[in-house]
Amino acid sequence: MTVTPEPVGRPGPTRRRALTGALAAGAAVLGAGALSGCGSALAADDRTVRLWDLFSGADGGLLNDMVRRAGPDMPGTRIERTVLEWGTPYYTKLAMASAGGRGPDVAVSHMSRLAGYAPTGLLDPWDLDLLAEYGVRPGDFADAVWSRTRFEGATYAVPLDTHPFIVFYHPEPAARAGLLTGDGVLDTEAFGSPDSFLAAGRELAKASGRQGIAFGYVTDTAQCWRLFYGLYRQTGGTFRLPEGGPAEVDADRMTEVIAFMTKLVDGRVNPRRLDYAAAIAAFANRQTAMILSGEWELGTFRAADPKVGAAPFPTVFGTPAVYADSHAFVLPRRPHPDAGHRRRTHRAVAALLKAGQIWATAGHIPAYRPVTATAAYAKLRPQADYARAQSSVVLDPAVWFAGAGSDFQNAMCQVLQQALLGDLAPDRAARAMVRRLDTFLSKPSPA
Amino acid sequence: MSSPLAPATPGSRSVRRLLSPGLLFALPFLVLFAVFMLWPLGQGLWMSLTDTSLSAHTPDFIGLDNFSEAVRDAEMWRALGHTVWFTALSTVPLVAVALGMALLVHTGLPGQWVWRLAFFAPYLLPVGVVGLLWIWLYQPDLGLYNHLLDGVGLGRVAWLSDPSVAMSAIVLTTLWWTVGFNFLLYLAALQSVPDHLYEAAAIDGAGAWRRLWSITLPQLGRITTVVTVLQILASLKVFDQVYLLTKGGPDNSTRPVVEYVYDVGFTGYRLGYASAISYVFFALVVLASAAQYAALRRREK
Repeated sequence: MTVTPEPVGRPGPTRRRALTGALAAGAAVLGAGALSGCGSALAADDRTVRLWDLFSGADGGLLNDMVRRAGPDMPGTRIERTVLEWGTPYYTKLAMASAGGRGPDVAVSHMSRLAGYAPTGLLDPWDLDLLAEYGVRPGDFADAVWSRTRFEGATYAVPLDTHPFIVFYHPEPAARAGLLTGDGVLDTEAFGSPDSFLAAGRELAKASGRQGIAFGYVTDTAQCWRLFYGLYRQTGGTFRLPEGGPAEVDADRMTEVIAFMTKLVDGRVNPRRLDYAAAIAAFANRQTAMILSGEWELGTFRAADPKVGAAPFPTVFGTPAVYADSHAFVLPRRPHPDAGHRRRTHRAVAALLKAGQIWATAGHIPAYRPVTATAAYAKLRPQADYARAQSSVVLDPAVWFAGAGSDFQNAMCQVLQQALLGDLAPDRAARAMVRRLDTFLSKPSPA
Repeated sequence: MSSPLAPATPGSRSVRRLLSPGLLFALPFLVLFAVFMLWPLGQGLWMSLTDTSLSAHTPDFIGLDNFSEAVRDAEMWRALGHTVWFTALSTVPLVAVALGMALLVHTGLPGQWVWRLAFFAPYLLPVGVVGLLWIWLYQPDLGLYNHLLDGVGLGRVAWLSDPSVAMSAIVLTTLWWTVGFNFLLYLAALQSVPDHLYEAAAIDGAGAWRRLWSITLPQLGRITTVVTVLQILASLKVFDQVYLLTKGGPDNSTRPVVEYVYDVGFTGYRLGYASAISYVFFALVVLASAAQYAALRRREK
């Protein structure tokens, strides 16, 4: 074909031509949009390790500091954070991205969600040899946490921290109530049985002049479960959830724990119907001398009382057990992972773990023990006072439907809340929980 | 290259007959409709027959298992009940209040355009804004409503955390947000009622109330049907404002079936089962629409 010059008498624009043009342009826009939508998620230069996490606010700032501190440890590698809002949708996004093989290079997940992720093929296992090369070995983590990272002989998570459910207290009223030991830390022995726990609450109420122990749970989707499950595991009762059901649990011990929780929020010695925010306010304003809370609220409490004390959750029912969860690094599935990039990812995670001292300032217990063994960590108060909680942590049962932000925790909390508000007797609440457990177990696992 | 003026060959004429101008004009819509409606509908139906989940495994065909699980799922029926309850609670005020406002504006309140704008403006807000706004209005301690109730000594209401109040609170929000659309439909209908009817009635000595009952309301019968049908369909679809205000809580007491589908599929990862529930819901909506249609047909005869 020869190239002909533009005809002189070029026909003017007709309606048909205009429409065709518009259609073609529209199709081009649609097509281009669809294509670039697929491409952009993967487009990243080779030296960038993309990380999805759920840390906003103060935690987010600390992670930025850690990334900076880790920089010299991983030359030639850059960590690019994408912060997503914490909550149930976080796991939806992570699952969808992983199912399509278009997830980030590495993501932060709660360890309690691993049972719903690893068996479904949404995660790739970590290469332990590679991690060891960068100075991270299984022996560097507490057994209670590390044992949860394994599935079918492979390691699917590298723990960043443990965040237990503990007690915070104001030192002055606690001292007046005679509940501090000689070194000024909480005498957890004084809380060693249901009766002495309640008696200690009365002493604290007397010493504070107002009320004793705050616990915020109304309309919360996790708090009741955190307290219940930690206490239940202290009783030594079984909690086995075989696939298909029925649940093998000890309803009598569940009743005992629920009855204790109900007595705790009696409305006289301790406040009765607090929601999460109200409980924090009650403790921060010194309406109560103590609060049952996750350690992640340390920053808030320290702003209100620089001398605020903390201790592992006391052993009320005999066997030491502290409810906790753990933030861990996971590798979202890639159908064809690039070996060099995977190595870079392992190296970046190892570097982040070693910068864990920064993470500890937020209150989380760094999972990488070389950090908690340092003198610098021992000086962190009150963090060092509850670090020993790490050896007796219990995480959610390892079933696909449980874990942080799950419908399961919410369902359990709904029953427990009714019992704590006095609308349901403890034994009936225990039976209702067992029924709900059986319903969850009867559903087919997505794996 | 052929000139555009060259005589059409027989072949191209038959193509042209097949692609009539009407079809050509409808084509962009049809393509989008097929890609974004028909294909997902078919895909969803297929998924409802499999155990598809949000995982890396290939799904298996499991026949009607999902459907038999769904009809025995108490939580699904409860969520369906909430959707129906919301529809019943919201449709009546959304039609009645819209009619009332349209009549007020039409009978000539001073400053008509202000009223029209004020009544219709909330409808223009995106649901995210509406949700944020009303969460603040409903705040138990700081919110405007509890502040007002406190002021007149009625005590506070736990708008969104009391299971017996939460649904009504959502209906109230929905009323404020979407009544403007129905109001507009009524206003348009009012303006098309022929003047000579009113003139004749006035000559016969009918008063204002008489004219309202015997002329205006009967003349609005048709639009009332349209508004009601549209409203029922819109209310059955309820999801966004509930999700933003209460996330279905407290105790799942406001969770509509659409949110249940979302929860099962996207937080429970069981996409196949979620599809099955959505088809159960679809079947019920089709049944309701058919019943409505049959009832209307009978009345028109």
